[in-house]
Amino acid sequence: MSGYRFDRLKILVVDDNAHMRKLVVTILQAFGAIQIFEAPDGERAWILLRDANPDVVILDWMMEGMSGLEFVKQVRTSPQTPNPFVPVIMLTGHTHIDHVRQARDAGVNEFLAKPVSVKAILTRLISVIEHPRPYVRTKSYFGPCRRRRGADEYRGPERRAVADATALE
Amino acid sequence: MSKEHPIELFMPPNMLKAKVGGTIGGLDMAAVKRAEAAMETLKADFSDWVGSDVARLSECRDRFAAEQDADARDALFRAGHDIKGQATTFEFPLVARVAASLCHLLESLPSPESVPLLLVDAHVTAIRIIVRDKIKDTTNRMALELVEELEARVVEMTGRPVV
Repeated sequence: MSGYRFDRLKILVVDDNAHMRKLVVTILQAFGAIQIFEAPDGERAWILLRDANPDVVILDWMMEGMSGLEFVKQVRTSPQTPNPFVPVIMLTGHTHIDHVRQARDAGVNEFLAKPVSVKAILTRLISVIEHPRPYVRTKSYFGPCRRRRGADEYRGPERRAVADATALE
Repeated sequence: MSKEHPIELFMPPNMLKAKVGGTIGGLDMAAVKRAEAAMETLKADFSDWVGSDVARLSECRDRFAAEQDADARDALFRAGHDIKGQATTFEFPLVARVAASLCHLLESLPSPESVPLLLVDAHVTAIRIIVRDKIKDTTNRMALELVEELEARVVEMTGRPVV
């Protein structure tokens, strides 16, 4: 047993499909969550982010009006954001690696491709609880560090520095 | 002028861990079992849920047939994308595959006018039939041949494999 007190967490579920919301909410309730807020679109989610101050957001990508991607960018960078650090788990039917990159570049903490499974949702929740990423602020990005391991361990090309230098040119 | 730009890297306090407590010891199997049992109780509704998703897809198809503009294509794409993501969970994996093929067709072609309505209709009809006949088995020969044929047509049309 992990003994997590999910009943202490406020979780916001954002999806324009009522069936998917019902499914995710049912799973979260089975984990013990009781403070669950639902939003059918980005606009309503923004209001709940301010009024309910959730600890975690589970967010669909493809929604009419404000997309999940636009929502998370607004959460991370808007001067009006109530909490730029709130962990966001993106739940989406997109499965291509390019979509994972786009989500990461928007400031998503965890990416979860549909179909939904109980283990996948629990794994992503555990990840944001146990392995939170440091946050990064550069000229062109604010959000969780996009390198999965610590920045100190990174041995690849310095794209971040190059991108920032390019942006300044 | 200096091109240097500071990169701030910082770790906010872990408020989530402070709230939920507990210790990590792999997955909490009791929680997994509870949630899987809860999903079982929803299964009775899955066919109805897929049915309403398919009805929405059909409405979006009709709108696209009438208007064939970017808004109608995007609405049809969203309806198909929902089915692509959900149908496997709702125990219709072949429906998810057909929906993935439809989405690939809609997002790969440059303009709404270039999307062939007949091929859209073939996808929507296939989804309707698989749901109507409650085909949940991924080895159903007739359904599988239909899915593969649709995917082949889309690959031919777009020049890229369905993902």
